[in-house]
Amino acid sequence: MTINATPISELAPVPGPLPVPGLHRARVLILPRSPKVIAGVVILAIFGLVAILGRWLAPYSPNATDTQHWVRRVLVEGTGPGTNIPANYYPLPLPPSAAHLLGTTVFAQDVWSQLLSATQATMFVGLLAAAIATVLSVLVGVAAGYLGGNADEGLSLFSNVFLAIPGLPLLIVLADYVPSAGSSVLLVAVIIAVTAWAYSARVLRAQTLSLRNRDFVEAARVSGEGSLRIILVEVLPNLVPIVAASFLFTTLYAIGAYVAIAFLGLAGSPTSYPPGLWNWGEMLREAFANNAVRGGWWWWWAPPGICVALLGTGLALLNFGIDEFINPRLRGAGLSRRAARKAGINLSTTFGLTPVIRPAREAADAGQSSDGMAEAVLEIRKLSVDYGYGDEAVHAVVDCDLVLRRGQVLGLAGESGSGKTTLALAALRLLRSPGVVTAGEVLFHSQPSTEGPRQTIDLLAADERQLRALRWSEISVVLQSAANSLNPVTTIGAQFDDILRVHRPHLSGAERWRRSGELLDLVAINGDRLRSYPHELSGGMRQRAMIAMALALEPQVMILDEPTTALDVVTQREILEELMGLRDRLGFAALFITHDLSLLVELADEIAVMYAGRLMERAPAASLFHAPRLPYTHGLLHCFPPMHGARIPMTGIPGSPPDLRALPSGCAFHPRCAWAMPRCREQVPRLARLNGSSREVACWLHGGEAAVPAELARPDPAITRRGSRP
Amino acid sequence: MGALVRRLGVYLLAAWVAVTVSFLLPRVVPGNPVAGAVARASQSGNCNSPCVKAIEEQLGYNVHTSLWAQYLEYWANLLHGDLGHSFSENAPVGSLILSYLPWTLGLLGVATALSFVAGTAIGTLVAWHRGSWIDWVMPVATFFQAVPYFFLALVLVLIFGQTGTMLKWFPSLFGYDIYVVTPGVNWPYYESVISHAILPVVTVILASIAGFIMSMRNQVITTMDEDFVLVALAKGLPARTVVWYAARNALLPVVANFTIALSLVVAGQILVEIVFNYPGIGFHLYDALGKLDYALVQGIFVVITLVVLAANLLADIVYVLIDPRARQAA
Repeated sequence: MTINATPISELAPVPGPLPVPGLHRARVLILPRSPKVIAGVVILAIFGLVAILGRWLAPYSPNATDTQHWVRRVLVEGTGPGTNIPANYYPLPLPPSAAHLLGTTVFAQDVWSQLLSATQATMFVGLLAAAIATVLSVLVGVAAGYLGGNADEGLSLFSNVFLAIPGLPLLIVLADYVPSAGSSVLLVAVIIAVTAWAYSARVLRAQTLSLRNRDFVEAARVSGEGSLRIILVEVLPNLVPIVAASFLFTTLYAIGAYVAIAFLGLAGSPTSYPPGLWNWGEMLREAFANNAVRGGWWWWWAPPGICVALLGTGLALLNFGIDEFINPRLRGAGLSRRAARKAGINLSTTFGLTPVIRPAREAADAGQSSDGMAEAVLEIRKLSVDYGYGDEAVHAVVDCDLVLRRGQVLGLAGESGSGKTTLALAALRLLRSPGVVTAGEVLFHSQPSTEGPRQTIDLLAADERQLRALRWSEISVVLQSAANSLNPVTTIGAQFDDILRVHRPHLSGAERWRRSGELLDLVAINGDRLRSYPHELSGGMRQRAMIAMALALEPQVMILDEPTTALDVVTQREILEELMGLRDRLGFAALFITHDLSLLVELADEIAVMYAGRLMERAPAASLFHAPRLPYTHGLLHCFPPMHGARIPMTGIPGSPPDLRALPSGCAFHPRCAWAMPRCREQVPRLARLNGSSREVACWLHGGEAAVPAELARPDPAITRRGSRP
Repeated sequence: MGALVRRLGVYLLAAWVAVTVSFLLPRVVPGNPVAGAVARASQSGNCNSPCVKAIEEQLGYNVHTSLWAQYLEYWANLLHGDLGHSFSENAPVGSLILSYLPWTLGLLGVATALSFVAGTAIGTLVAWHRGSWIDWVMPVATFFQAVPYFFLALVLVLIFGQTGTMLKWFPSLFGYDIYVVTPGVNWPYYESVISHAILPVVTVILASIAGFIMSMRNQVITTMDEDFVLVALAKGLPARTVVWYAARNALLPVVANFTIALSLVVAGQILVEIVFNYPGIGFHLYDALGKLDYALVQGIFVVITLVVLAANLLADIVYVLIDPRARQAA
């Protein structure tokens, strides 16, 4: 069990609709109902009951000794009858029996009764120490994180110093000096807490620090709320899962520490004066000191040890649940495993190879869909993608058709969450678990520039080896954040080298290095930068380097997933121009994914618009931009002001993107649509070709029942000036 | 160097705190050590109040110099390697600890290194093959992580130890066979040392490996969600390269948290040494506790702290070496 020290804010959202705990409201701690958590809760509940009721369940007093009946006595050789020495016995404990469920100790005490009594004391001290330590760590951690500055410096130093000093030795020295520490449970708990709080304080400080800079805390501060109130109302509720995790973690530590110092005889013995409490460590100490291991009297020493381990396991299992709550990445596929098995998917093989469970397909027409336009290089047909399996599945992409033509740029637009990236990654089988392709085909019509035959490959039917050979050498990918796409711990040169070594095995090391330098040159970066680590480059340079990497093997297709969104406008412009220049020179086709429609108009030959997992409109770029037919596209276009031309009011789109787990009936866009008709609420519109054009739209407004609104019936420039674009 | 110097500062401060605690404790709460000495003195006759006073002065607790002067003297002694005198062994604490230290460092070093290497490797495997049968490692590791070191030691002694009752495969008492071999540069001695170290080393590994497995597994799973791993897959790199990308990055936080792991291993090993009567620092700490030899207890506390701080510094240096970002900042 670890407390994950990554601040929540640094975790990228998981792909797909897995719920990422929102931080705006206080989060209620709802643990994932996994077998692990249930087992943990059950174990803790049993121990809790025993701790409370143990006193009454115990058949004997833990101190009761009955040397007449509760021990076996073995005659010491050479004494007793037949000798002139009086009989001398040594005692042996009784093994488990009906009268003594766990046998007896060598002092003729009932082990079961001792264990019940010890459970209470051990759990009480563990919880008490953990409670004290948690209060201490919340005070220090939150104060350090929230106050910042010198207070933070001082408090962090304080906890780091405590963290560096090894806990048990300090504990031993403290317990050893404090007079009769053992007789006071509170004193023992305080001493344990002193050595236990520092780690949690550090974790809580990091969390508070990241919360402090969140908008809702900022807002509270600006609105003049007092620090204490902000901490109590805004910060603390959001720390509940972390505090819970560190409380469990500290309880585990405290119980271990208590047992350890009791084993060392520092926590007070029930037989000493003033008497201490029976606890698991004390039982182990007595057993060990009286040679229970050598004597084979396992019933004496095994139960308390197993109790420590079981209780610890219970705490750790529960902590797993909280870990998974805090860090959804850990949850991932774990929960859906049963559903996955039912769906026939082996989750251990899905990494880098998105599973496909499409129904037996009809004889596929692997040929080109010839419609007089440029030859297709990547054809996505009726692709459907789910997150999750069986009943849990969320349909992230439904029935999408896309054709990317050789040497052209196809723009794919939509709000975040509309399924653009999911569609692209699923087509390459790169979608992570629990993503699964449920229908469709992805045909790659390969025509290698240098050698090799023309061939058509269904990526959804390809095996791992085929895909690996195809990836990057024919289809490469550039993601939004180059900072995240580059491996932070190796140099740029090493990352080029990895690609070339695998895909161009005939090149020597020197040739690979030279080629990498040339590629950097191509994107206007000095070849010296091969020796740099990603963090030594600026944001723009990183993305350029990533583009150079994507070009390394002269692929036929490049998937650009918001490649410039993370950059400032000037850099964005430079990189786009470079990218298009390279496209003209090298002739690769590009699938350009973005939420910025105005950007696409300049780059793309054709644009497709997605909403809630479906393709809603597809048209030549100019037509779509100047004469949108879909209300949603119209809305998107009015989100971005034009650089010049007449002023038009920015209306945007009311409402927010739909929750894929609870899509509206009919057309998913109808709740946000100004022109929605009754039919839109009932029937899902299909993508259909509009009369007399090469464009398609999925909207009932164009179904011929009603008059098309003027905004959606502007004259199409592609029709008025047909043939002006290739 | 900035980051490393900062860490060094923290460790120096921690060392100062440890030494000061060790100085102040007997002077603030002198009850136990004095009572112990009085009890000893009483064995040879009645210890009246002048006797008690003499004992206090002898222990250096109730002298007529100021606390500050005592503190300076304490430091001066410490810097000369003088950690006081152990009455139970009748020898300087410093030289005693020096003779215990190799046993502890050997055991700790070998066990921690093996546990770290194997644990991170297994953790990576478990993360990589998540969803297969290998997931069963996790509940088992959880259980082992919760088992107290010394209890595991008792179980291993019972099953494998020659002082146990079952297989009797390995020696399970002392650091070497004190009746048969003579310490020195000779093969039988080394052989004896190694065979005596097997059970303690295995105990520490078994008890500590689960922590490394779990933290590495969680880190690798978290890292596998990073874009650069996705891009590595998109690059068509072979699986082992992709695993390396993920594991190499996941290692960073695991090394950064090594401090906490080490602190737990040290605590565990103290108890393991006790079970095996292993002649290291932990066993002698237990021994000194029983004999109320407070000077030795304090000395051992200071030395263990210094050793752990040195190990932490080493971990920090390793971190700076394996993270280029930290290297630049350092």
